[in-house]
Amino acid sequence: MPILGDIALGKYVAGTSILHRLDPRTKLLVVVLWMSAALASHGVAPVVAFCLFILATASLSRLPAGLLLRNLRSFLWLLLMTASLHALMTPGHLLWHVPWLDLDVTHEGLQAAAIFTLRLGAVVTAASLLTLTTSPLELTDGIERLLRPFRRIGVPAHELAMMISIALRFIPVLAEEAERLQKAQMARGAEFGGHPVARARKLVPLLVPLFLSAFARADRLAIAMEARGYRGGEGRTQYRQLAYRRADALATFVCVCGCGAMWWISATGVGLQP
Amino acid sequence: MAQRLSPALLAELSVAIALAAVLSVFKLKLPHLIYGGSISLHTLPIAVVALRHGVRAGMLAGVAYGFINFVMTPYFVHPVQLILDYPVAFGVLGAAGLMAQCKSRWLAAVAVMGAGALRLGVHVLSGMVYFGDLAPAGTPVWQYSLLYNCSYMVPETLIASAVIIVLIRRLAH
Repeated sequence: MPILGDIALGKYVAGTSILHRLDPRTKLLVVVLWMSAALASHGVAPVVAFCLFILATASLSRLPAGLLLRNLRSFLWLLLMTASLHALMTPGHLLWHVPWLDLDVTHEGLQAAAIFTLRLGAVVTAASLLTLTTSPLELTDGIERLLRPFRRIGVPAHELAMMISIALRFIPVLAEEAERLQKAQMARGAEFGGHPVARARKLVPLLVPLFLSAFARADRLAIAMEARGYRGGEGRTQYRQLAYRRADALATFVCVCGCGAMWWISATGVGLQP
Repeated sequence: MAQRLSPALLAELSVAIALAAVLSVFKLKLPHLIYGGSISLHTLPIAVVALRHGVRAGMLAGVAYGFINFVMTPYFVHPVQLILDYPVAFGVLGAAGLMAQCKSRWLAAVAVMGAGALRLGVHVLSGMVYFGDLAPAGTPVWQYSLLYNCSYMVPETLIASAVIIVLIRRLAH
């Protein structure tokens, strides 16, 4: 079993587009703001506006359309379930009766199904754009910087970011170790197949050396950190410096204006309500 | 101001998180789990560090692993769902550290079950939030979320509890 090959560390696709070059903090905040605004808005007009904005943003990312569609495929069941529930369970003007389910498909139901499915698809694509254009290390740095103000109330932002960075570095090392141990056990006649409980039981001889080896590595890492004078986050400099540029300010401004427009359209009732 | 983590503890937590990510590969994906979730042993390293170093260390490791789990298998449909399903759901596994002072491996298994129950509660709440937002009014959202999440969380927690009994005995040797 190729363990290392099964670990997909993010779906990041390297690139030089404007979206790739944006500060991770900007991307995180913009995605959360847009998603919140989209989920809070109802009606055709705001949802269509949101979908158009996401399409425009996706084109700026210069990612292949097939890649974005493949990402949507993981959510296919959720999209289908959302569409079906709304189509079959929303009361209104009857279009046709489904006798074997004893449910009605209504005009309002179909409209709600289209709105909610489009909205969900756009929300998922917005989230995919974040993970496709931001590397895990950039995301870690972004989260650390966003959590920094909360250090005053005891949130260990630096420690969390440090742990994530070290863990990302150690995943391939431990995956190789697990693969080596697994092959060694199989050479001695061990089998890792069978029903779930049997498989879990057979993993124990693999887990014990894996845990011991991991803890031994942690000891060596701690000695190396202490020898290099690691003293935590205070006064620590970074190799990768995050910089808030003009493009970030522009992206934030566009996002805030867009969210405001969606809120205004929802509040004033422009567009058909589901 | 929170107490600073020693390099030894920081290194151990980091390696435990990496180990959790590696163990997440050994998973059983049941056909009905269409909205994510699987049965694996990835919670074991978090539970082990919680049992060795207490609630705070376990929670920190859990929150950091939640981020790694999101990077590995992103399922992001709602901002509240993102926070609940990743940092909070794995962070509450640190509750296993309440039994950190107990030497009994049976109590360790109970701690893993308790932490698993808390994680189940968080996933159910997350399901209620995001599915409640998507489904029409009147859909029995919480029952569906409870059934869906129990279908993989209960076997996963039982298997993790059984394995930790053996694991703690062997690691103590």
